[in-house]
Amino acid sequence: MMNAGRCRAGRREILANLLVVLALFAGTHALAIGSLDLNPSAWSAPWTGDVVLVSAGLLFLGLAVLLPLHAGLLNLAVHAQFLAGFAVGALVARSVAVDPGAQAALGLLCGALAGAFTGIVVAWLKQRFAIHEVLTGLLLSAAFAPLALAVAVDRVTPPALTIELSALTERLSWAGALKLPPSLVLAWGILLLSLAIALGLLFAHFLRTTVWGFEVRATGSNPLAAVATGMDVDRVQLTVMALGGACAGLTGALQLWTSPAVALERWPFPLGFAGVAVAFLGLGTVRGSILAALLLGAWLNTPYASDVLSRPLYGAAIAALLLLPALWTLPRLLPEHGAPRAIWRTRHRESL
Amino acid sequence: MGGKDAGLEIRGLSVADGDRWLVRDVSFSVPPGALHMVLGERGAGKSALLEAAAGLRREAKGSIHFGRGEASGASNADGATPRQRRLLAAFHPREIPAVSLTVAERLLLQRPPRVGGIALHRGRGRAEAKALASRVGVDALLDVPIEALRPIERRLVELAAAMTQEPAALLLDEPTADLGPHEARQFLATARSMAEAEKIPIVFSTTWPRDAYPDATAVTILWRGADPVTVPTNECTEAALVQRWTGGIGIRRAPSGPHTPGDTLLRVEGIIMEGRGRETSLAGIEFEVKSGEVLAIVGAPADGLNLLHDALLGNRVPRRGSIHFLGKEIMRAPRRHRVESGMTFVNPPIARDQSVPEFTVEENLILGQTHVPPFARRGSLRTESIRGNAVRALQDFDLLDVTPRTRFRDLSLGPRQRVLVAREVIHNPRLLVARSPAQGLSLTEQEYVRRTLILQCERGSGLLWLTEEPEEAMRVADRLAVMTAGRLVWIPVTETLTREAIIAEMSGAAA
Repeated sequence: MMNAGRCRAGRREILANLLVVLALFAGTHALAIGSLDLNPSAWSAPWTGDVVLVSAGLLFLGLAVLLPLHAGLLNLAVHAQFLAGFAVGALVARSVAVDPGAQAALGLLCGALAGAFTGIVVAWLKQRFAIHEVLTGLLLSAAFAPLALAVAVDRVTPPALTIELSALTERLSWAGALKLPPSLVLAWGILLLSLAIALGLLFAHFLRTTVWGFEVRATGSNPLAAVATGMDVDRVQLTVMALGGACAGLTGALQLWTSPAVALERWPFPLGFAGVAVAFLGLGTVRGSILAALLLGAWLNTPYASDVLSRPLYGAAIAALLLLPALWTLPRLLPEHGAPRAIWRTRHRESL
Repeated sequence: MGGKDAGLEIRGLSVADGDRWLVRDVSFSVPPGALHMVLGERGAGKSALLEAAAGLRREAKGSIHFGRGEASGASNADGATPRQRRLLAAFHPREIPAVSLTVAERLLLQRPPRVGGIALHRGRGRAEAKALASRVGVDALLDVPIEALRPIERRLVELAAAMTQEPAALLLDEPTADLGPHEARQFLATARSMAEAEKIPIVFSTTWPRDAYPDATAVTILWRGADPVTVPTNECTEAALVQRWTGGIGIRRAPSGPHTPGDTLLRVEGIIMEGRGRETSLAGIEFEVKSGEVLAIVGAPADGLNLLHDALLGNRVPRRGSIHFLGKEIMRAPRRHRVESGMTFVNPPIARDQSVPEFTVEENLILGQTHVPPFARRGSLRTESIRGNAVRALQDFDLLDVTPRTRFRDLSLGPRQRVLVAREVIHNPRLLVARSPAQGLSLTEQEYVRRTLILQCERGSGLLWLTEEPEEAMRVADRLAVMTAGRLVWIPVTETLTREAIIAEMSGAAA
């Protein structure tokens, strides 16, 4: 079996991330008890269905960041891809009057395609005009937010982005509207989570054993060498951005046909960026991201998390804590400084 | 500007990186106005030594003393502290960033003349920049962006810019690495005149013994596993210096040929290509390489050698002309197509574009070959073939202490280059294009790389050897051409051919 092309995490990084998770659970609990003056006896254990659905959503978003990361791209367009998937899914739900099952399938497909297209646009802009994907990603995220909200005004399906916190107690009310029994919802959540895990494991397997994976790893580790040895770096980066975008777009569309939003709405920063937290908490590995998604899903469904996250100040502190692993994980995962710039210069030397 | 007490003394200096010694027990002193050379292969600790002297690394043992610093009370018997050293010494790294500032702006960057402490005084600034530039002979280039300059011009501008800091010592890390021999001489002569005028010591590191002559006053030799030694150049010829450096290992002075050339593999006709910035353009290059022969082309990188290499690699397309490989036009073909046709490339050991340091040795051995059997089938990598290939390559190339799973970045420079040469020759290419493939290696490793490539040539491959080092070309060439003013000047390879004759041709290009 071939080695992965990326640096392996050291003990210090693993320990640091474990401490972040510990601080997340313990800190949230302490804040809820100490500062908010709430009644712990009123809290109930998280419902398994919520944990599963939320973890699936988080894992899809984590994969949306993780896949491009292996090819040396920091996909901060993940939120834009998420919003594109949500908006296109909502449009399908509003305009296509067919059987609910077919409508859901069509909506999810179109959402994934919209996310993939957004990813392709970001990669193309990088290749054609050397615009950094982080810049494009942030700009597109800002541009798509009002679009997604505008499309979601007519609530054809349970609205995800505008759900009220007070509605949290009415768990699975949307399932009743769709005439779905709770057992089916749980099964649907498990199916989604299984799909996300399978996708992640398949990606890890492909990275190790296929020529495509070899090219992705080479591109991520040293794009100059990848170009010099005849690899089509542009194609590789376009492909991973499309795949990552599809994952994010699918998650966006899933907001309309499942209810991970019930818990995900509490997320302390724009939801798409949850993928960044998952990928970095998982140290840029598939196995780590699966674990991170499950842990964050469980944390998000703890009763005290919703209480704490309802306070803006605490929400900001938790957001900072969640993004902390990026500080020590990101420098290890991105290719040598200057390499992408050097590629661009090689192609455009005539401009001097 | 300069102080009379300037000078540099290093006493028993040792520098470590974690638990690994980079430099051990180095001592030498440089009088004011002198040029001191530190000679060693890549990885011998030259950069670490200079960085420690400049205060960028903390020494494990020993002390560093600056004459001017002690005179001003900034130092004591224990030597200058790293912070004091950073203030006293000016340090230039091996790679100078290609910034878009003009020469005038760069020269004034450290101390721009101001009006009222805020606004830039343009008139005085221009005059000061011109005066500085004229000291190193680049005053005609004041408005040219740094990134458009030739490497020697960049070096000279940095030399002039350093003087604005009024340093107590100037430390240059491999300033001649990207220069031709004639350019290196020009640069070192200018550096010495600056040192004499400013009465400061200048220490520079290099991998080439020839840089010691005629301007350096002494040479400190670093060689892994041996104690550092300092020798004055007036007591030691270049040959004796090489002898001391290498410990007397045998270096082949002539190719094993003459080889018997076969069919024409590569034919380059009328290549015209515009240089970048002030780089010399190619003005109708013509040559051909036959199977079983070594054609060496010597030239300074900015005199067209880099452009020709780029054209052969497929990085740039010439404006006019043609490149035929095995009878087919490949001038616009991508690199992959060239490699698939049987052309391979070996670049300098420090080139960043020929390996993936994070990969294992076995993975680096299949870079660029994963789209064809035996290493892949139907899109899947074939682990057994890849492992077998690595085991065979490591055995054939005497890398017995390296395993297929060894991380490439954990190898030192010599074994790395052996792995890369192995990758290129093991599938028996029709034509090898080698660009300074032994640059910066220890002499033993240099010899190994040369012998390996020539052996491949004797098996029937053609070998095109591009280098800026005349001696290297003389050692390997069946035919030899010098790149001068964008054209090739052919020089017969005879017993009487000397390095100086080649350098004379090369410096004609620089004039």
